[in-house]
Amino acid sequence: MSQDLWIKMANLVFELEKKLSTQQVSAGIARNIDRMKAVVAEAGLLLLNPTGETYTETRTDLEASITGSGNGALTILDVIKPIVYISQDGRRSLLQKGVVIVGQK
Amino acid sequence: MSTINFAIDLGTTNSLIARAGNGSVDIFKNPAGMKVTLPSVVAFRKDRILIGDKAREYVEKDPANVFAAFKRKMGTSESFFIANDGTFKTPIELSTIILQELQHFIFTGEKPESVVITIPASFDTVQSNATKEAGYAAGFKEVLLLQEPIAASLAFANREGKEGLQGQWLVYDLGGGTFDVALVKIEDDEMKVVDHEGDNFLGGLDFDQLMITQLFVPYLEKQFGVKDLAAKMLSAGGKYNKLYYQLLYKAEEAKITLSNHFHADIEFDFTDEEGKEEEVFFMIARDQFDGIVRDKVTYSISFIRELLERNRLTPGDITEVVLVGGSTYIPLIRSMLAGELGITVNTAIDPTTAVVEGAAYYAGSKASKLEARGASGASGAGGASGTGGSGSGGSGSGGTGGAGGSGAGGAGGAGGSGKGHGGPGAGGLGSTIEVKMAYQPNSREQAEYFAASVMRAPRGSRYRITRSDGGYDSGLKPVAERISEMLVLLPNTMNTFQLKLYDEKGEQLSVEVPEIGIVQGMYSIYGQPLPNDICLEVDDTDNNITHLEVIFERNTILPIRKSVTKTLSRTITKGSDDQLLINVLEGSRYSSPQSNLPIGIISISGRQLKTDLVKGCDIDLSFEITESRDITVTAYISMIDEEFTQAFSPSSRTVNVSRMKEEVDYLYRVSQRQLDRLLQKELYEEGAALQQAMKELDTIRQKLKHISDDDVTDTKYQLDDQKRKLAKVVDASERGGKILMLKEEYFDKKERYKELLGQSGNQELLKRLESLGKEENEWMSHCSAQFLRWKIDEMDRMTWDVKKKNIGYVTNLYLNYAMRPNEDYIDVNEIKMLKKRGDDALTRRNPEEILGIIYRMYELLIDKDRDEAIRGTGLRG
Repeated sequence: MSQDLWIKMANLVFELEKKLSTQQVSAGIARNIDRMKAVVAEAGLLLLNPTGETYTETRTDLEASITGSGNGALTILDVIKPIVYISQDGRRSLLQKGVVIVGQK
Repeated sequence: MSTINFAIDLGTTNSLIARAGNGSVDIFKNPAGMKVTLPSVVAFRKDRILIGDKAREYVEKDPANVFAAFKRKMGTSESFFIANDGTFKTPIELSTIILQELQHFIFTGEKPESVVITIPASFDTVQSNATKEAGYAAGFKEVLLLQEPIAASLAFANREGKEGLQGQWLVYDLGGGTFDVALVKIEDDEMKVVDHEGDNFLGGLDFDQLMITQLFVPYLEKQFGVKDLAAKMLSAGGKYNKLYYQLLYKAEEAKITLSNHFHADIEFDFTDEEGKEEEVFFMIARDQFDGIVRDKVTYSISFIRELLERNRLTPGDITEVVLVGGSTYIPLIRSMLAGELGITVNTAIDPTTAVVEGAAYYAGSKASKLEARGASGASGAGGASGTGGSGSGGSGSGGTGGAGGSGAGGAGGAGGSGKGHGGPGAGGLGSTIEVKMAYQPNSREQAEYFAASVMRAPRGSRYRITRSDGGYDSGLKPVAERISEMLVLLPNTMNTFQLKLYDEKGEQLSVEVPEIGIVQGMYSIYGQPLPNDICLEVDDTDNNITHLEVIFERNTILPIRKSVTKTLSRTITKGSDDQLLINVLEGSRYSSPQSNLPIGIISISGRQLKTDLVKGCDIDLSFEITESRDITVTAYISMIDEEFTQAFSPSSRTVNVSRMKEEVDYLYRVSQRQLDRLLQKELYEEGAALQQAMKELDTIRQKLKHISDDDVTDTKYQLDDQKRKLAKVVDASERGGKILMLKEEYFDKKERYKELLGQSGNQELLKRLESLGKEENEWMSHCSAQFLRWKIDEMDRMTWDVKKKNIGYVTNLYLNYAMRPNEDYIDVNEIKMLKKRGDDALTRRNPEEILGIIYRMYELLIDKDRDEAIRGTGLRG
């Protein structure tokens, strides 16, 4: 599958997991999601969900929109698109920047 | 004489850099994030300078220190005050920073000395000179300017293979924040901009805003009864501020979708005034979008009308309109230009990159006027510029392997600090910059502290640390004798960083700085290798025995994980005592399963099942081994949607008692047969050893009778140890007798099949057979009987297709069966009849017919070699 398709799949899996995280899901559904993530990982993609992490302006793997005043310690409040790295020939490179909203907690 | 080749589109909102070569144009990407566009934004934060995407994030939040759209001020005496350090920067200086940053995109390591930079048609002499100055300050020695509409036109001309465009045409450029339209034609063999118009404050960003205020907000206000939502969203501290950014992103996405589809889905969560969270989902149709942007588009077209009128032209005099700028993807713009003006719209080139592409073509056709020593694209001249000396040494980009070893030397995670020593670099005349680094090469944190001392760096120098995968960039920071930084790490992996130094003009200093390597998490670089094969016991249903299938080979480095899918070799009925066994063993894959060490077993018994597990259904198995050799086995059976997982540590053993009983039984029977053979051949000595083994097996059998599956004593482990020893004895004994027979069979068949396949002309199968033969040396001397049996079967299977069509082979096979006494068969009468039919069929020499008879004869055969049978694990091999 071409890289573009894999990125789309990674985003969809991420969105699905995010939606289900706010509901009670059966163990069966959670299992399927884990297995989808395993397949995406086998394709060489590293998916990261930085929700809750501290945001620093040195993180070039994030595209951040800053709410609030923008001063002080900033936390990642919401993740719209996950960070995706790809490993090829033993080298890892950024494939998709995470799109996030940051602000004070 | 070389050509300039390099070109830069220095835009108000975004900038790009490209290079012409070999008849085509390469547009360089930002190493941090892989985009071709660099936002023309510079942020002077408290302790570092950010350029591009990161700077843009702060444009609204820190306007006193972040500057964008400074292109509008080029050529003016206006300057920008930086609140954080109290200094001023001119638009030229800001542009220089952008130009320097763009040069970092050039991954080939070239350092161009000449460049073409594009300028708007509206730029006068002062503004143009300002652009040139910015170029020189950025380190270029030769700067040519090219008007943007001409650059775009060149891109179209080149792509379409024409000498140039015909007659007079328009270039409609709608970027992120500015709008320009130019009237261009060829006069006296020269392409020139006849006239132009524009609005510096009209662009694509406006469309996103309109979508929010005119589509999203009214919908939300109506659905949820919120008042004044727009104002609430824009207030920085307000509770809907986060929603504003979410919607802005959605609006941009929808806008892009609507360029290619007639509908776009909008989906997001909304917390209403009562604090309840709602899922919002609605669709936007292209007409709705067109409705809200129509006015702006009409407004832009009015400039075209003005332009035409002023030049006493009608739309009919214009051959085509060429589109530039990302916003021109919007279908309404294209249809209105065509509809209202009746002019052909040319969309052959990507509007985002048209300008830089055309400028690069131009640069590729322009000879550089610099002297030979400054030929563009030659080796980098590191070190101070301006003094005119040719730099010595390489341009130290990504210096690896400097003296003193990098922190990656921390093998085994001993936690020692990594030290890196940057060798002296020629920073000009006489000075030698020295860099000493200190950091922990292993970390469990999200970010790790890094410190360095930098000696004898020229005044005004700056440094920058980037992570090799593009996810971290420290930004440009001032060099001091002691510098420190928090390096952000990716979890559970090796992170490599490069430290680079620049002089105050932005030129890279040539210092060799070794790569910084930090491992995050439990992972250590020199992993432990596996001492033995790890195998799975699988079924050989044809022979009713089991053999081993390798999962992880000996010497694989840990940690490691792998998943395989197997199918069920027989139905496991619900409620029955039958088990599906996932038996993981350690030891050579060529030995028998019974003699290898069981390291983990998952058994799924019929009693646990709510429905039958049907033969042929899929089982997804995944195996994971950590460095400390803990194994986790997970089995997922989709048919019942259930997962079974178990972790096994090397310090605690698992023994499945009922399986052991089956194995001991099997070993006993096998020994019995072998003993009979030995005694027949009067090999009494060998027989004695085997007899002893059988006695001990029987003892184990008796003891097992008194042990249940959930016994808590150590007895079962002791018995398992004994069993394995005995299994090795039986294996060894077999090796003497049975194995010899099997080896004979193996070599015999191999020869016959080679002949057969040679005759049939099937090259592919012949090759496969030969490669099978080549592997022989690996296992022939020490394999088990089961393994050999399996290899023979493999050969049989491989060649079956060819064999069954070969009359010679089939005839032989028939004769084998026909020569057996009738008493070997269940039904004597039937066998008599079959033999008659068979002899008859031989005359007709039809392989299929004879085969049919053979099958029937096989069915009637009594002794199908049942003694050497052990219940399978359930996994098809």
